[in-house]
Formats: sequence, structure tokens, C-alpha cells
Amino acid sequence: MDKNRQGAKASYVAFFVFVAIWIMSPSFVRMGTREAFVEFQAPALHLVAKGRDLARFWELKSKSAEELAAASRDLARINAALELKVRTLEDIRQENIRLRELARYAAPREFLTIVARVASRDSSSWWHRIILRKGRSDGVRPGCPVVFSDRVIGKVSLVHLNTCEVDLVTSPNFRCTAYLEGDEQGRIVLVSGLPANSLGTARAKIAVIPMDYLPPAGQSPKVVTTGMGGVFPAGLIIGTLDANIRTTQDGNFKEGTLQPSRNLFSLQEVSVLVPIHPAAGEILLEKRYEDFQ
Amino acid sequence: MSWSWLIILLATYPWLFAADLLSDWTAPWGLNVFISGAAIIVPCSRLRRWQAVLFSGCVGFLFEARRPIPDGILALTLVAAAIFLTSNKPLLRSAPRLLRASLIVNLAAATLWFSAVAVTLGQLSFRNLGDFLPQLLLQLIASAAVTLILFWPLSLSQIAALDHMNAPLANETP
Amino acid sequence: MRELNDLKVLPSTRIERLRLIFVFWVFSAGFIYIAGGLLIRQIVQSNELKEQSDSQSRRIILKPPARGLIHDRHGYVLVENRVRWSVKADLSELQPEFQAEYRKLLAAEKARETGHIDREKLQDTARRNVLQSWLDKVWFVIDATSRNIKKNKLPVKSNPVDSPTERLVKIDDLKKHLRERRALPFTLVSDLAFPGADQSVTPEEGVRAVARFVEQFPVDGPIRLDSDIIRTYPHGTLAAHVLGYVKDTDELPPNSLNDEKNELLQKLHYTGKKGAAGIEESFNEILCGLSGWELWTKTSAGYNKELLRKSDPTQGSEVVLSLDVEIQRAAEKALAQIKDSQGKVLPAAAVMLDVNTGEILALASQPTFNPNRLADRVTRTYFDEIETSGGWLNRSIQGLYPPGSTFKVITAIAGMRNKVVDWDDILECGPSYRVGSRDFPEHDPAGYGQVDLEKMLAVSCNVWNYRVGLGVGIEPLAAEARRFGLDTPLLQMPPSAGNKNATELPFPANRGLVIPDTAYKLRIGAGPWTGGDTANTAIGQGFLLTTPLHMACVAASIARGETRTTPTIIHDPGRDGRHQGAEAIGLNGLQLAALRSGLNRCVEEGTARSVMIPGLAFAAKTGTSEYFQKGQKAHLAWIIGYASADNPAVAFCVLVEGQLDTSTWGGKTAGPVARDMILAWAKKTPVSEVKSEAEEPAR
Repeated sequence: MDKNRQGAKASYVAFFVFVAIWIMSPSFVRMGTREAFVEFQAPALHLVAKGRDLARFWELKSKSAEELAAASRDLARINAALELKVRTLEDIRQENIRLRELARYAAPREFLTIVARVASRDSSSWWHRIILRKGRSDGVRPGCPVVFSDRVIGKVSLVHLNTCEVDLVTSPNFRCTAYLEGDEQGRIVLVSGLPANSLGTARAKIAVIPMDYLPPAGQSPKVVTTGMGGVFPAGLIIGTLDANIRTTQDGNFKEGTLQPSRNLFSLQEVSVLVPIHPAAGEILLEKRYEDFQ
Repeated sequence: MSWSWLIILLATYPWLFAADLLSDWTAPWGLNVFISGAAIIVPCSRLRRWQAVLFSGCVGFLFEARRPIPDGILALTLVAAAIFLTSNKPLLRSAPRLLRASLIVNLAAATLWFSAVAVTLGQLSFRNLGDFLPQLLLQLIASAAVTLILFWPLSLSQIAALDHMNAPLANETP
Repeated sequence: MRELNDLKVLPSTRIERLRLIFVFWVFSAGFIYIAGGLLIRQIVQSNELKEQSDSQSRRIILKPPARGLIHDRHGYVLVENRVRWSVKADLSELQPEFQAEYRKLLAAEKARETGHIDREKLQDTARRNVLQSWLDKVWFVIDATSRNIKKNKLPVKSNPVDSPTERLVKIDDLKKHLRERRALPFTLVSDLAFPGADQSVTPEEGVRAVARFVEQFPVDGPIRLDSDIIRTYPHGTLAAHVLGYVKDTDELPPNSLNDEKNELLQKLHYTGKKGAAGIEESFNEILCGLSGWELWTKTSAGYNKELLRKSDPTQGSEVVLSLDVEIQRAAEKALAQIKDSQGKVLPAAAVMLDVNTGEILALASQPTFNPNRLADRVTRTYFDEIETSGGWLNRSIQGLYPPGSTFKVITAIAGMRNKVVDWDDILECGPSYRVGSRDFPEHDPAGYGQVDLEKMLAVSCNVWNYRVGLGVGIEPLAAEARRFGLDTPLLQMPPSAGNKNATELPFPANRGLVIPDTAYKLRIGAGPWTGGDTANTAIGQGFLLTTPLHMACVAASIARGETRTTPTIIHDPGRDGRHQGAEAIGLNGLQLAALRSGLNRCVEEGTARSVMIPGLAFAAKTGTSEYFQKGQKAHLAWIIGYASADNPAVAFCVLVEGQLDTSTWGGKTAGPVARDMILAWAKKTPVSEVKSEAEEPAR
């Protein structure tokens, strides 16, 4: 017993020495440790997500023949309509290319689209992120925009080997510029995620709304990306502006709350838009822990 | 014996992972299901001190890895708890004592990492204490509930693993 | 027994007893004093003290309102407020980085073994280096396009030699900030959308810069984005002299607080803006609005605790100017074409008035300045640049010049009204005219021969004016000039505006106006009046001094057949067209017709024929007067007139200060500006209106 006591003292001393060393250790050691554990967890995340897909597969497989027949009939109709649409879109695309060449218009930012399944969500209290089943090995890079059809979901913040973490629109680490529907002058506003209240839902703040802005009557105006910042393509929907707009402390602007466009927490699949050329911000994110000088 | 900590970690990991997936499900309510603190209790009662310390550090980092918790806060908390518990093994000698210890350690660790996150994100100040405290309370209630529900299956699987590797019982001095 | 003795309390001797009593009374008095004091404080002075403690535990924060907008007559915005985005660094968060950099510098300095190490300077350098590296990152995000990123993967380090100044952290600014506002964040980029005042950035590029920073710069970290409202002049230099600019002030606009009651309270305020020139200054009270305020309780550490009451700031009212953006732009564009042999723009002024209402449609002065570059912190270099170019002077209302041949219109009217000459009298005009012992020359060495009123106005014959002027005499000639208001202060605010001496634009040249006569010459001590002086005055030379706006008013008055025009810069659709002190011109129909026809002929075949506009007849009188610049003669080019000839709606005056190395002539130099202004006016006015009933130009 006495020996144990003495050992305890020694361990406490060793513990404090270790804490001291840990505090003084360079950040890459800590990052390395973190990264090691992330990679340790990654296969399990993949496994679970795959399992979820499998469960869904079997759920669908158990449908009766009538149900399937009805669904395929519906699909055939939708297919026909879409085919027509594709053809008109092709015409428009050709025309677009022709006009662009005519006007010598610089090609817009090009993106590679990587479709990724959502592996896990983590939106507890202060940070709102989802984990995707695509990572560095698939070409995902930090800072890439993440979208679902024409809606903004968030931005990739950390990339691991086979997984990546996405800051959702409601995350305090998310920030972008936007246009408000109904503002003819096209002035930009600022969208930034907010830490959620206790028991509250995830929110984002829309700031720097001009004082003379009036939302169109009877509807909540859409909040749309500007495409100016070099991250998000233009015209994607971020969400809608809540009716409750108030004047800021300094009386210079109004501000409101963003209603995210989709329930961000029930997504199954999203697209990561990877720009062909890295943006400046991406380089800053990569170099964060290194010395610039 | 030297690989024992890895075996016990593998026996514990599925439970931690289950808690993470549960967090995924409770995400829209802003809740995080935390059980890492409870996971170190049984190993602490049976393992040698250095083994328990290593094990606690790993469990802590597993939880931290995906969350913006200031590096090492949770892992070091659990390591400190492990040193204390392995030095005071009588505290873990019976089943009710094990449950009590797991509740205390889990709640303490939850409080600590939650506050640490709040501080680093600049969310802990007098002004939004009214926001912070209910959230913390909610977090603690969830942690307590999860401990009560998951502790027995968790500890049973851990005991099975420990038995498998012939770890001595708690009341025996190492 | 011994114990009992020890318990003895009262002193035994008498002396000791007295001493005790004395001590008792002293203590009692002290106690009563303290108790009484407390009583007085608590009960008698309680209200007063409560007020004092309130004033110590409360504070008022005053907030400047947004200034009102300025529109032109058609509602186009001339001055507005825009969002200014700025990038700031949180110094307290940067403290570890400062320390690390300092240690690095110190080690390097020690390694060099130079002996004395100035640690304070090293601290400053360390701070600057850290902030500079952050600023470089900011610019890296804003500047980088995908192409140059591939070439250069890291932010370029700025250096004092070839980086623009707005990209450098200035050590003096930093030191000043640390001294005065240490707790506040340090501004790295004060205006993200328009970074350097010297840079010409399109609004779209500005928005792009803001968006790039917002979306790409890391959110967490010591660098913050801030936004506020700033005065902006969307048309840049357009009408800068009329609009003026704003500057920082600590005197905020009035607020709705009861000042007497809150006199004791500590007042904090944000920096406000006040007008520093032009309309911004003269209409400051209208534009500035009402300050807002907040009444806070504060903690003992001085932070705000609880908001008790507040009142939001009220934006200032708008001012609608009589200017017409298109005409103003045409005038300034035309003025900018007039350059000397080195390609430098010549000082010049241009005015266009609505003939009927006197509303000023264009008021331009050159050289000018960009009020956007003065709206925030003014750089010393830019201020000096304006100073040396003479850009502060609004030449159209502040410049004093001899009117030259444009004055001949008034000499002619004086001649006819004093019956010295009639509209159809023909005078023989040779190459010169002798007054006393001096020959006064004609500007055409051959002379003009037989000249009547119309021909005189068309060719601007000097000898005709010498003869008529001498015939009339200086006193009646000066009286005629006064009748046309050449020495009347202009741009006075209407009496209803309150302040009697206030003017619509600050400091018009109302004091320096000169209409010379014998008394004047004696007053300035230049000796007795001579015939030569009269001859000089008759052709608008000599002591005569007036402003382009005055001459534009003369043109407008003649167009209406009256003597006075009251110009105004404020648009009022209900203006009645009555002019202060105006009377009929005092000529008979034939005389007036001949006068107008002479002005028409000036354009058709005379000195202004180079600026004739096919299909649009207008009336003009050119002038080329002499003035002395650095002791040498240089020319002033003038043109005044009205359009259209048949149905006058607008009157104009253009003046160009020629330099020694330029040949400046009224018609040739000033004419094109007048023509462009008329064309801009005519473009907005239906042809039928130009030709028939021209009132106010339609939109």
C-alpha cells in the first residue's frame, strides 16, 4: 500500500512534467497526434456510413412489385420531361460558349465536382460541421465550397486522408457575401454563422443590410451567393432572410437571421466543388501552422 | 501484458463510437453524447497505473480528434483522473462505487471540455452566461443519462477483455 | 485579594480621574461629529449625493447620424453614403506573436554585437513586422488570381521602396495608436473597397475585394472585418466645388437630450462628420441630421453595464440642387480639354443658368479635386497637390477677373440709355483711338471702318466702345454696371433661412467686386480719374473685377430683357422667376432687337463663329482680356451668351485663364466649352421647345 502511495506521488510529478512538456511542444506535434486519431477513426466512420447505405438498400429491396412498378412509371415520366430539358439546355450551353468566345469573356472559375456521402454530423452547441466520406486521397482541399443541388451547405475546413470536415453555413467559422432578393441596387451583405443558443436551432446572421432595404412584401427574401469572393459560384441559394430585421447598435445598418435553405442535418449526400486552381484563402489555410516568413 | 491497453481499447472503442453516432443523431438539438469519462473506470480498477494512464490518454484523444477542443484538455483530464483512481483503488472496489466513480468522472470531464471549448471560441463571458449555463446543464444531464444507460454493457465488455488478458482484480494490490 | 486588586477599574487618584474624563469627552465629541456627519450625508444631502453618484455610474454615448443625400434637379444622386469595409487587427490577440518576433529580433541584434540595443525601437519594429506580415496576407487574398497564385505560392513581402503606401504598416501610425487607443483594434486597411485614395478602383473591383476577403480570409484569428458608413461622391470630381467634402469632427450634430439635466454625465461619442466646403458646408445644418444617444449605467471598471434609455439617430434631410448632371458633366469634360503647351489643364470656370428662374444648371471650376479622397483621412500629399494647383478655388464664384469685351454689352446699353448713340448710328472706327496723349488700339490692326451696334457686337470693335464710353462718361457707365448688379453679392440665402449673411455656397467673392469710378480710384490712392481709365473701363479692362457667375447673370438678364438675375443653386419647381432688384432693361424695342441681333451675329459671322451649332441659333459675346501673371501679360478668354437665340432658356459664361505660353482667345478657347454645354442642354430639350417655347429643360 505504502509503495503504491509513493508511486502515486511519482506519477503526479510525472503528470505535471508531461503537461508542461505538452504545453511547450510545437503545434505540429499536437496536430500530428490529432491527425493520427482521426485516421484511426476514419475506417469505422466509413464502415458505419456504408452500413447505413446498405440498410437503405435492403429497405428499398423489400418493396413490393406494385410499388416498384408505380415508381418506375413515375420515373419514366420524369425522365421524359428531363430529356426534353437536357436538349434545350444543350442548345443554351452551345449558345453560351459561342457568345463567350465572341465577347472574349474569361472563363469562370472551373470546378471539379466530387460527390460525397455524409458520414457523420456534429452540430452540438457551438460548431456545426458534417464529416464527409471523401478526403485528401479523393482530391478534396480545404476551403472548397460544399453544395447540394443549387444550395450552399458550407465550406471544407479540415481534410484528412479519407474524410473531410465541412463547416456548415451555421458554423461560427463560416462567412460569405450575399445578395438579398428584392434589393435592386445589388448591395452585398455579410452572412456569418452564429453559435447556437441553448436548446436553440442553428442560425446564421445576415449583417450589413442597408438601412433602406425593404424585403419584398409577403415573402421571405432569398439570400444568394455573389460569386465575387472566388469561393462560391454566383447565384447559389444560402437560405432565406427571417422576417425579423432589426437595426444595429450603431444605427448604420440592419441585421437579420438566416434560415438555412434545407435542414442541414438530414443531408445524405452533397457535392464538393474543388476549384482547378487553388484560391489564395486555401493557401493561407494550408500554411496556417507554418511560418510565412 | 504489454499489449493489454490496446486490447482493452479495442473492447472499449465500439462503445465510444456508438456514443459518437448517437451524437450524430442528437445533433439537431445541439447535444453531444459523451461517455469517454465513464470508459476509463473499469480499466482503472484492474490495470497497472501506467497502463491505465496510457489508456485514458488514448480515449481522451479519440473524442478530441474531431472536435475543436483545445489540444489535450480532455486527454490530460482523463489521465489525471486515472492517476488518482489507480492510486486510490478502494474507491473502485464494489459495483456501486464503480458507478459512482464513473458518474463523477464523466460529468467532471464533460464540464471541463465543454467550458474549455467555450473559452477558446470566445463564448464564455459574463454576458452570455445565461446561454452557457443551460447548455452545460443539458450536456451534463445527457452525459449522466448515457453513463447510467451505457455503463453496464460498457464495463461488462471491458471486464471480459480484462479477464481475457488476466488482469488482476481491483482489490488485489498490483 | 491580589486578584481583586487587579480587577480595579477606576483610577484611584484625582489626576487620573480627570484624565479619564477628558479622554471620555474627546472621544464623545469625535463620535458625535462622525454620527452627525453621517446623519447630514444620509438625510440632508442624500438627494444631491445620489445625483452625483448617478452621474458617476452613468454615461451617455452619442452616435452620429447619417448625413442627408444631395440630388440634382432630376433626382440623380450627387452625394450619398456608402458602406466602408475596413480590416482591423486585434492587438491583444497578437501579443504572443509580437513577443516571438521581438525575441527573434533581439537575438539577431545581440548576434551582431553592436553594443547599445534600443529595446523600445526593437519592440516597435517587432510589432510592425508582425502587422505587416498580416497585411501582406490580406493583400495576398485580395490580389491573387488563380494565375499569379500558381507562379507565387506565398504572399509577397511588402517593402517601403516599391509597395504602394497603403500596403505598408507605418511605424508612426502604430506608435500613435498604441499611445492613444491601445485598447481598440488597429486599422490595417481603412477602406477595403477603395484601398488607396490614389488608386482608381471601379465599384465592382471594390466589391470584389471585399468579397474575396470575406470568403477567403480565415475567420478565426486576430484579423477582423469592420463596416461603417462613409460619405461618397459617385461622380468623383463632378461638381466638386459645388458639393464640397466632409471632414471628421468631434462636435456631433444636435441631439434630443436635455443638456442641462445631463450636464454632469460623462459623454462619449463616435467621430462625426461635418461639411468642409461647398453645399456640404453651407447646408451642413440641414444635411447633418440629429444625433442619437444611449444612456448606460457603467461598471466600476468603466464598462457599459445596462442600457437605460436610447434614441436612434435621425438621418439628415436631403438637398436638391438646381444642377443638371449632364450639363455639368459636359462643361467639365470640355474644360478638361483646355490645356497649355505642356499638357497641363488651364484654370477655368463655366456657368450655365436657367434664364427664367436663375437656377444654376452647371457650375464648374478647374482645376478641381476629388472629394472622395478627402472624405476620410486626407493625405498630406493630396492636400498639397490641390493647394499648389489652386484647386480649392471655385473660380466661377470666387475668381475675380476683368470681364474684357463681354462688358461691351453694358457699354452699349449705357450708350443708348444716355442717348450717346442709337442702335442704327454708324461710327467711323479706325485702327486706334487717341485719348489724351495715348493711342488706344483696335485688336484688328486694319480697323473696322464703319461700325454700327450690331457690327460692334459681332466683331467686338474696341474703338466704338472708346468713343461711346468717353461720350457717356465714367459715372453713368459705372451706374449702368451697378444697375446690372456687377457689384451685388450673389447667392445670398433667402431671408427666411434665418442667418442674414449666409450664402448658398461658402465665401463667394462678394467683397472684391470692383466697378471703378473717380471715387474708387481716389480711395485706392491711384490718383485722379483720366479719360484713359474710362476708355479702358468701356472695353472691360482696367480696374473692373467681376466673377463668371456675375457675367452669366448679365447674359440671362439681357435674354429676359431685364437688369438683374438672382442665381440660385437650389432647385425649387415652384420658383416664380422674380428676380431681386430687377427692372426692365430700359431700351426701346428697336434698340433691344439690335442688341440681340448683334449677339446672334457674333455667333453667325463674328468672333464666336468657330463654335456655331448648325440648326441651333444662340447668342454670344466673346472677350479676351489681359491680366498680369508673374508681372507679364497673359490673356483671359471669355464667352457669355444665351440659347436659343429666339427663345432664351439658358444663359452661360465661360472663362479660361490663359498662361504665358498659350494663345488664348475668347471664341477659340472658351467657345467650345459653351458649345458643349448648349449641346448637352439641347439634347435633353425637345427640338420644338428649343425653337418655340423654351421654359425649363425637360427631363
